[in-house]
Amino acid sequence: MTRFIVRRTMQMVAVLFCTSVFTFLIFQVIPNGNPALRLAGQTATPQTIAAIERQWGFNKPIYVQYLDTMQKVLTGSVISYSQQINVLAEIRRGLPATISLAGGAAVIWLLAGVALGTLSALRAGRFSDRALAVLSLVGISTPSFVLATALLYLLAYKVHVFPLSGYVPLTQSPWQWFLHLVLPWFCLSFIYVGFYSRVLRSNMLDTLREDYVRTATAKGLSRRRVIVGHVLRASLIPLISLWGLDFAGVIGGGAILVEVVFNLNGVGQYAAESIQTLDVPPVLVIVMYGAFLVVVLSAIIDVLYVVLDPRVRLNA
Amino acid sequence: MALNQGLPRADRAGLLLGDDLVADEVIPGISPYRLAARRLRRDRTALGFGCLFLLIVAACLLAPVYSHDVAGIGPNVNNVTGTIQVNGRSVNVVSLQGIPIGPTWHARYFFGADTLGRDVAVRLLYGGRTSLAIGFMAAAITMIFGVAVGLVAGYYRGVVDGVLARLLDIIWAYPAVLLGVAIGTSLALGGLKIGPLTIQGNSIFIPAFLIGFVYIPYVAKPIRGQVLALREREFVDAARGLACGNVRIMVREILPNLSSTIVVFFPLIVAGAILLEASLSFLGAGVQPPNASWGTMIQEGLPLLTTSPQLVLVPGGMLVLTVLGINVFGEGVRDALDPKSTIRLGR
Amino acid sequence: MKRPIRRISGLLGCVAAAAVLAACSNGASSNATGASQPASGGASVNGGTATIDMASAPDSLDPQYGYTIESGEADWITYTPLLTYAHANGEAGTQVIPGLATALPVVSNGGKTYTLTLRSGLKFSNGAPVVASDFTYAVERMLRLNWGGDSFFTQTVAGASAYLNGKASSISGITTDNSTGRITIQLTAAYGAFDNLLAFPAVAPVPAGTAMTNLPTDPPPGVGAYVIKDVIPNQSFELVKNPLFAGFHIPGIPAGHLSTIKVDIVTNTTTEAEEVLDNQADNFDAGDTIPTALTSQITSQAGSRFSLQPVETTYYFFLNQSKAPFNNKLAREAVNLAVDREAFDRLAGGTINPGCYLLATGLVGHPTKACPWGTLNSANVAQAKSLIKQAGLVGAPVTVYGEQVAPVEQWVEYYTGVLNSIGLKATIKFVDGSTYFPTVGSKTADPQTGYSAWSEDFPNPVDFYLLVDANSIQPVGNRDRSYVDDPHIQSELAKLDLVPTSQLQSVASQWSALDYYVASQADEVVFGYGTAPKFFSNRINPSTAVFSPIWYNDWSTWQLSS
Repeated sequence: MTRFIVRRTMQMVAVLFCTSVFTFLIFQVIPNGNPALRLAGQTATPQTIAAIERQWGFNKPIYVQYLDTMQKVLTGSVISYSQQINVLAEIRRGLPATISLAGGAAVIWLLAGVALGTLSALRAGRFSDRALAVLSLVGISTPSFVLATALLYLLAYKVHVFPLSGYVPLTQSPWQWFLHLVLPWFCLSFIYVGFYSRVLRSNMLDTLREDYVRTATAKGLSRRRVIVGHVLRASLIPLISLWGLDFAGVIGGGAILVEVVFNLNGVGQYAAESIQTLDVPPVLVIVMYGAFLVVVLSAIIDVLYVVLDPRVRLNA
Repeated sequence: MALNQGLPRADRAGLLLGDDLVADEVIPGISPYRLAARRLRRDRTALGFGCLFLLIVAACLLAPVYSHDVAGIGPNVNNVTGTIQVNGRSVNVVSLQGIPIGPTWHARYFFGADTLGRDVAVRLLYGGRTSLAIGFMAAAITMIFGVAVGLVAGYYRGVVDGVLARLLDIIWAYPAVLLGVAIGTSLALGGLKIGPLTIQGNSIFIPAFLIGFVYIPYVAKPIRGQVLALREREFVDAARGLACGNVRIMVREILPNLSSTIVVFFPLIVAGAILLEASLSFLGAGVQPPNASWGTMIQEGLPLLTTSPQLVLVPGGMLVLTVLGINVFGEGVRDALDPKSTIRLGR
Repeated sequence: MKRPIRRISGLLGCVAAAAVLAACSNGASSNATGASQPASGGASVNGGTATIDMASAPDSLDPQYGYTIESGEADWITYTPLLTYAHANGEAGTQVIPGLATALPVVSNGGKTYTLTLRSGLKFSNGAPVVASDFTYAVERMLRLNWGGDSFFTQTVAGASAYLNGKASSISGITTDNSTGRITIQLTAAYGAFDNLLAFPAVAPVPAGTAMTNLPTDPPPGVGAYVIKDVIPNQSFELVKNPLFAGFHIPGIPAGHLSTIKVDIVTNTTTEAEEVLDNQADNFDAGDTIPTALTSQITSQAGSRFSLQPVETTYYFFLNQSKAPFNNKLAREAVNLAVDREAFDRLAGGTINPGCYLLATGLVGHPTKACPWGTLNSANVAQAKSLIKQAGLVGAPVTVYGEQVAPVEQWVEYYTGVLNSIGLKATIKFVDGSTYFPTVGSKTADPQTGYSAWSEDFPNPVDFYLLVDANSIQPVGNRDRSYVDDPHIQSELAKLDLVPTSQLQSVASQWSALDYYVASQADEVVFGYGTAPKFFSNRINPSTAVFSPIWYNDWSTWQLSS
């Protein structure tokens, strides 16, 4: 186990390094991406642009710039080009909202996806399975922001049930925190529920045909024991992978559209703005933070594989 | 002879038991594929949805015919200040406040117009060609590379798995939006040159490759997980015992067991690709205006969702029907191919 | 030109504009408004709080850095410069009046020397006294921070350019005497609009020693009716009344009625509009656009507290004269004939005013003659086609540059369609919003035609004529994107640039003749002028709220409706 942790940690450092270098280089590829041009504004003269370049160090060689920026990132003093505010402080400000949104939604979509997928598999071929199939596919084909718009229109314009927008911290008022997050949770989970239920259904149908399931039933185990104890455990493996990826993605800022529509001021919103303005420092930090989360969650998922299926041996 | 009697006919095909078998008792076997085709023919639901999908494809291919003969207007022809006759009255195609007309249910503007006065029905069909092309190309890229990478990583484990898995992590952690902007802006100003190949800035290969690439980890990781479990199974040990090479084991033994996952994922990735393409086109890396695609039609119609919902519902509805068609037909094919699928045949 | 920053544009802007139509159900929204009892009866109502919803955050509230509409609205009433604008509606609001200076500057030496005297007894909001050298410090700080409009100063004030380049440790052209409060500024050449430059909050005095870096979260103290505090970037900030200001009795500058003004950043313009419609928030910021889907609802439900104010922003497509096909005047004329300017208005949801002259309506010099290209709601495609044929340019390839932000995206699509309908072969190239202007302003891209817009920095036509002035052509950050190099324009500008803003009316007819000339030369394809929404909740009295043509909403004139 320790070897596993050590190895994964080394790999994570490698990942973070590669990601940061790649991000830095990508901005060089973008034509007219010289930050001085944007900082200088529309009425800039070549003189102003040169002054900005000197001030910010944009005229230094690229590896020098990279090292400078990384040093600032690691000491927590990196500031954004466009607003000149501390990037890490901004991210910390947005984290509670993003974690609340991502965490809640992730739990909902996993439970709902498993429940609906199981239901579909057990009633395979019958009407309820078909209906759930259509519903799942509608869910996957609906962009989250369309759903958000429609829901808010229906549940707030026609019937005033939910609040408008914004995020209320849990510490300030648990009820308001919950109320403000219900619609965002729903919108975010809707797509994933559809996806997960289809994948789980397919896996379960495969597993139900396996010999050991037949054996377990023949041994006299109750249907429920068979399903939960044997079938579900084996079928969950691919689903757990997906869940790990999706959760990492959402916490790393993937819930951009939902955050913007509901004005939650989370990390996703900040990431979107920074990409829009091609602001290197925040993008760099957020991408690294996202990569970090993905690697950590991947490691956790790999451990879960062993728990779910004892035949899997990890030597990596 | 007694040995043979209890077995199903198909399994007798190809069995040789030496001199006991007399020539006229050789029963012609039926290949598994013909059996699958037979089973598929009996699966009416799957066939129905398959036809639905083909109908949609055919309609999209016939877009020029519809545009020319039925609607009389091209997909990119603007008509902001034009008027048409509705119930004998002359009506602005786009109102002074920028709100387009709704469905007329006639040949012209069957589903209504969009903010630039273009015919939604015509754009729907033309857009379908683009969306379907991108969706399928991207999904093909994702599935081929995703399965290959997942298979290799899960099977070999060790260093190979370490490197591949971390690469997948990086790809996944990377905001597609940023890649889109980078590629989009550089292409907007010059096109892409790879060796002898020159790809124009507005080629649909670009969003297809980009989307396909971005989704690879989404397929590779679950596949890898499944392979990690499958490689410990008895039939893999058996194959090794028969001195099968690694590649042969991966392709002949493990891969077929991944077929359910592949079949389930494929239409889901197609849908995701069509939608992701819409976001990328806003950054210049997808379908460039004025060309249409279902995703961009949804995006453009969103601001007017409350006054003109048909702008979102029409392309959205088509998308759902298409994905539904592929999905149900795909599962029908998978069920037909699977010799043990007795559960689903008894309808 | 002030940048109306759209922090989240493109995809997100589309989403934001489309999303919520909702009223806050239980008053628990993040835009809680605190009301205090308005004074009963009386001429003006003092006290109270108002909440403003803004969809884009100011780039920075630091006066020597901020260069957006949003930062301007906050800064001009918190950082009074030596000169400022009258707090009045319409044309009266374009008049320059003394701010922290005792009177308008005395101009001598052929227009190259400006002398002013600082009022005595002034104090910053932190109580520190204001001295004349604080003005010099502010100018130096503005240059060091690379304020977006610094070129106005480097090209006029002697020694400013050397200071910016680091070749001098101070600005030679500005001398001050703290004991008398006298400030003397030497220019390199006469510049008629220099008074307007002195009215930028960017050169408002700040305490000497203020850090020479952008201070967005903790802006320096200033002299103004309000003080900025509690800045949470991208989320909110507050203005509270400055108790010291009323004691200075500066004529023409209101001391403010409301005690607190809270600004919330709500990225979703539909949410913004609905909140104001439902009186959950008090103002829809003037820098934002009313969503098309809600326009009719707002006009019918809240017509008495909503109006679209015309502003001096010109929307146009530039036509690069330095290369084919627009080096041929016939091609340029054809495009101007073929566009239906009314179409652009419809595509913008009715929020622009169609026009064809570079100088917007309301600006001195806007021609009153009929447009040389026909009426604004018609298009002459047939004649345009024949001109293209005559020029031998049928099938000539043209690439149209644009941003993918509504309504620019629709404008560009329409314009490209028009080019195709007259016989050219036009395609669109969308460039991401953040790199758009640097791209079209650079020689490497060298676009043939593309979208552009210009918002006035000050109410003097010289500001707009940068766009057709050969002297402003530069390889990077070029403003004259059409590469107009017309000797007639240059000779007229040489005369008109020298006329002080206060005497603009005397040369109004010359400006107007020049503007008509520019339009008939088909140098650009101007299609309309901007409007800004003046939209309040029922808590604010709309008739006493001033809308400045320069700074838009004048928060210091707002009162609660009694």
